[in-house]
Amino acid sequence: MATDTSSIPNQRVVETLASRLRRRQVVGSHETALETVLVLRQVISKARFSNIDQLVEIIRSVGRKLVEAQPKEHTVGNTVRKVLHHIREEYHTASQGTAVVSTSNNTLSIARFVLQGQPRKQNIPQKGTLNESHGTLKENNPDDPDAFARTLKPVLMEAIQDVLDELETVYDNISKNAKDHIHSDEIILTIGKSSTVEAFLKAAAAYRKYTVIIADTAPSYSGHDMAQSLSSAGISTVLVPDSSIYALMSRINKVIIGAHAILANGGMFAITGSLLAATAARAHSTPVVVCAGQFKLTPQWNLYHEYGALDFADPSSVLGFEEGNLVDKVDVINPYYDFVRPELIDAFITNDGDHPPSSVYRLIKEAYDDEDYEL
Amino acid sequence: MEANTLTSTCSAVSFDIYETFASFMKDEEISAPLAAILALTKLIELSGAGTMFELVKALNDGAEALKASNSNPISLNAGCELFIAFVTLLPHDSASFSDLKLELVRQGQKYAAEALTYRDKIANLALGFIKDDSVILTHSYSRVVMKTLLRAHERKRISVYVTEARPRGLGLRTYEELTAAGIPCTVVLDSAVSYVMDKVDFVLVGSEAVVESGGLINAVGSNQIAIIAQAANIPFYALAESYKFHRLFPLSQDDLPTHKPNILSFPLSAAGNVATPPSTGTIKPAPERGSNDKVRQMTAEQIACNPGVDYTRPDLITLVFSDVGSLTPEGVSQYLVGMFAG
Repeated sequence: MATDTSSIPNQRVVETLASRLRRRQVVGSHETALETVLVLRQVISKARFSNIDQLVEIIRSVGRKLVEAQPKEHTVGNTVRKVLHHIREEYHTASQGTAVVSTSNNTLSIARFVLQGQPRKQNIPQKGTLNESHGTLKENNPDDPDAFARTLKPVLMEAIQDVLDELETVYDNISKNAKDHIHSDEIILTIGKSSTVEAFLKAAAAYRKYTVIIADTAPSYSGHDMAQSLSSAGISTVLVPDSSIYALMSRINKVIIGAHAILANGGMFAITGSLLAATAARAHSTPVVVCAGQFKLTPQWNLYHEYGALDFADPSSVLGFEEGNLVDKVDVINPYYDFVRPELIDAFITNDGDHPPSSVYRLIKEAYDDEDYEL
Repeated sequence: MEANTLTSTCSAVSFDIYETFASFMKDEEISAPLAAILALTKLIELSGAGTMFELVKALNDGAEALKASNSNPISLNAGCELFIAFVTLLPHDSASFSDLKLELVRQGQKYAAEALTYRDKIANLALGFIKDDSVILTHSYSRVVMKTLLRAHERKRISVYVTEARPRGLGLRTYEELTAAGIPCTVVLDSAVSYVMDKVDFVLVGSEAVVESGGLINAVGSNQIAIIAQAANIPFYALAESYKFHRLFPLSQDDLPTHKPNILSFPLSAAGNVATPPSTGTIKPAPERGSNDKVRQMTAEQIACNPGVDYTRPDLITLVFSDVGSLTPEGVSQYLVGMFAG
């Protein structure tokens, strides 16, 4: 295949990221998403392909390698799927103008009629003007195998830039309407250190005066960092131990937490302690609001069955190794994430608007293509 | 029947749609909605209609005839509506009307053939939710559920509880087939479902139809199982092919088309339950053989006063697995609106 020889420089870039993921040198959903997009951009700019399927295969294999390196970081897979979705969209708009397009398969079929019901961003011909200069897309041209790639690449680069822009403006977009969600003199509960929630609360603080109660979030104690950060922004902050979440819940107006990954059924993985806070909030009918970028939407339904999906961290922070006589008698686990059921969440605030958990599956259908669910 | 004579006047050959339907149903693999679609394609083939209007009218009459002749028309209704909507809503372009008819017949048959692969698709989808060593509860007999369980048995260890599903006792058929395949299986009394629910990992049922609200119509007893599953916090999964999506919106059990006024009604006379027309005036008590602690059975008339299917609300269902993907109950209405509202 023409792709093999040029894949060697690509391989190095991909391998570097894969090993960094494996060694947990790249942590955090946002970081991994950005790194993945940059790697994909390099791969596509150097890739050689003569038709769309080859390109899709290249990106898929890169995606597979990265996902295998760190299966717990779902944003890697999500970003690859998003890039594939954009590429297919660009390809379809570009090939719309040519007569070579193979719409010969009769769209008249009952099965396709049923699939019409599928929620999909309807073909909006807004990119038409962009592609007029491209003329015909020559696929599989034996004389000039790079012709197809040449015409398509600039468009693809723009598509990837779109994805990159979306990732970079995630925090700004989510915090845009922060002041509408938080009212004066409210008491908000949050846990852990989520950069999204941090940006959200700081943006609201510019307009409203309110109090934030932060739970320790043992054993990582990321709540401490969050408390420092928020109080230095002038927000009145109270730091409490995790055990008092339920006791304080009657005084709390809203629970605002971040997410690690959002599953297709509307549930989410979030830092340990989120399930505790969400359940306590449900018992008091307190709204639970999750701030998360759309790159965290994962098209998988049943990850919560995988016990390993909880991502276990170092148990010594729970029970230190110096407790000699206990260490071999007690099984200590330190799950890093909790699975929170969709029934416990009231709304997701994303960079693309606010959504209830029941419409997450629709967002996923619109953001990703069905063929990409299994990379 | 009046509707039947209407279809026969439209064509030179006398065509009994119910006979055609019954002959298609003889194939074990073909379910009621698919048989209905095939029967309707046969109707088009033999129809002498010259315009679209006549054709659609003939199709509607045929569908009515089928519905009237069957006591449980819900699932075949779904198939009929899907086909008729396909004929009317989708833009067709053909050289002539007879070409169009041929095309429609071809499409109908192609869909029926393709639809037979849907059970495999659904089985593969549901496989991801079945963990090793799962204990599964199922209700009555469903071909889709059987396929899924047998597929799961190839790779994982599962054990199955199946309800008896009175009065037809189809659960015993499930029991026989599963045991023959080597899956540990136990039959559970319909009344013992709550007794066994704590031991179960999840509930898996087939469906007659999935309705617009996202709810499920299935053999009577499914609603009970769903309520108990929710109370015990056990997931309740429904398996349904996409041709079973139906545009009903029942708000209660009485809204089902299968509900007749005599179902679960109190007896009008002191003599006991007055059964549906073909019955004698008074019921005959079950033959008393000896002492009072013998097992008693319901009479046929008493059974006839009971429903055959029930409606399960969407908030009791965790997920619906279909050939179009895994859907939350809310997602189902999205499909239906897309299909039927153009």
